[in-house]
Amino acid sequence: MTTIGTEPSAQTVAALVEILGPFNKTGAELKPGTRFTEDLNFDSLVVMEFVAVVEDTFDISVPLNILPDVATIRDLAAAVDEIVAESKS
Amino acid sequence: MAELLDRFAPLMGQRDALFGDGGANPFQVKMDQVLSQTEAMIGNRRTILVGTNNYLGLTFAPEALQAAHDALDACGTGTTGSRVANGTYSGHADLEKTLATFFGKEHAMVFSTGFLANLGILSTLMGPEDFILMDADCHASIYDGVRGSSAQIIRFKHNDAADLDKRLARLADKPGNKLIVIEGIYSMLGDKAQLADIVAVKKKHANTYLLSDEAHSLGVLGRYGRGLPEEVGCEDDVDFIVGTFSKSVGTVGGFCVSNHPQFDTLRLVCRAYVFTASLPPSVVASAIANLKAVQKGGALRARLMRNAKHLHTGLSALGLKIASDVSPVVAVVAPDVQTAVTFWRGLIEAGVYVNLALPPATPFGYSLLRASLCAAHTEEQLEEVIAIFAKVASDIGLITPAKTKRTAVG
Repeated sequence: MTTIGTEPSAQTVAALVEILGPFNKTGAELKPGTRFTEDLNFDSLVVMEFVAVVEDTFDISVPLNILPDVATIRDLAAAVDEIVAESKS
Repeated sequence: MAELLDRFAPLMGQRDALFGDGGANPFQVKMDQVLSQTEAMIGNRRTILVGTNNYLGLTFAPEALQAAHDALDACGTGTTGSRVANGTYSGHADLEKTLATFFGKEHAMVFSTGFLANLGILSTLMGPEDFILMDADCHASIYDGVRGSSAQIIRFKHNDAADLDKRLARLADKPGNKLIVIEGIYSMLGDKAQLADIVAVKKKHANTYLLSDEAHSLGVLGRYGRGLPEEVGCEDDVDFIVGTFSKSVGTVGGFCVSNHPQFDTLRLVCRAYVFTASLPPSVVASAIANLKAVQKGGALRARLMRNAKHLHTGLSALGLKIASDVSPVVAVVAPDVQTAVTFWRGLIEAGVYVNLALPPATPFGYSLLRASLCAAHTEEQLEEVIAIFAKVASDIGLITPAKTKRTAVG
């Protein structure tokens, strides 16, 4: 998990934005730089629920270890891209 | 400049919103006098305790009391040292031998609490190339334990063996070891692990181990009280059992037992074992005495289960929603946090103590009135508890009064 910070694919960002909809209680604009804690008020419980939906959507396992390094939608999308790529290799 | 703990302001705000009016507050419950395993004075009120995890009622077992007194007089109030320094007395070695014999395992290691056992074992067992697959509903001590591990941590859906299987299959080409972590009985709702299915999944995958936390099932399940693996008949398939003495064993302390040939390595590398003071001799002596009582506790287990059925049936008959099937944990689901708080206050003010369990500590965001049974509860006490639940639930409009006109159950 070293690629957080690299630019993710637009499709992954779009997919995350779509599944984030029901989790967006603050009405913040959902763009790559949107921050889960500061902009969306995610607490640990919501993070866990959301990660479970991400895992189902992309059919992947997201290790809990990466979560402290995931601040924005862009970070998460980059991590998802890497996990998906790894699972196909 | 932010104050030191400002980041917890939202949580403190929630607490103040729920309890800031000065009414009864679960964070301030104080047992002023312990009357028995099942009753205490809270303030001036005699209160029936239905939320202590004291499943077999062994906290006042005469053999354990005598053993503790003897050890206290002989060895003093504490060891003042770690197990690897001056803190291993013959009692600690005897307790580990008793545990190994109890479980029929080669090795046993005693920690100072169950929380520390999970911290120590889970942060140490798996290395950087390895994977831990944990049930999503695992206890906080398991979450904290795996956070200290260098392995990759993956959650699987609660009690979903197919989801676990899928996640293990994704790791099939990874050379590292895999550790599945579950609980025998999950503490909040009292539901059991789907152990047979999980063992079947474990056997499909190479280099895969299974650890079960039997905190709430030790002494409760199995003919000899060895927990869910004994009940299901798969003890050889559970590689590590972690547990606590603070529930059915009636004292405090944690442990891990295993047949793994390298187990003793953990005594050198488990930091939660190496760098903390060992259990006081009186606690060790009462744990040894009560483990023997647990093993011979078939009659206590039968009473516990009868009591569990009594309370589960009685509360269900009122029209209350119970989170799981009959279990020593009977968790009543309230519709929301505020109702749960009001309900809990009504109960405590009427002389019934249960645990108030709120999200995020609960699955599904449930707000729970969590009761746990004791073998020492009498039928009269449970009838009184059910009657008080009926009155409070009716007073706050959670059930219709008609439903409170119930006939005897049990």
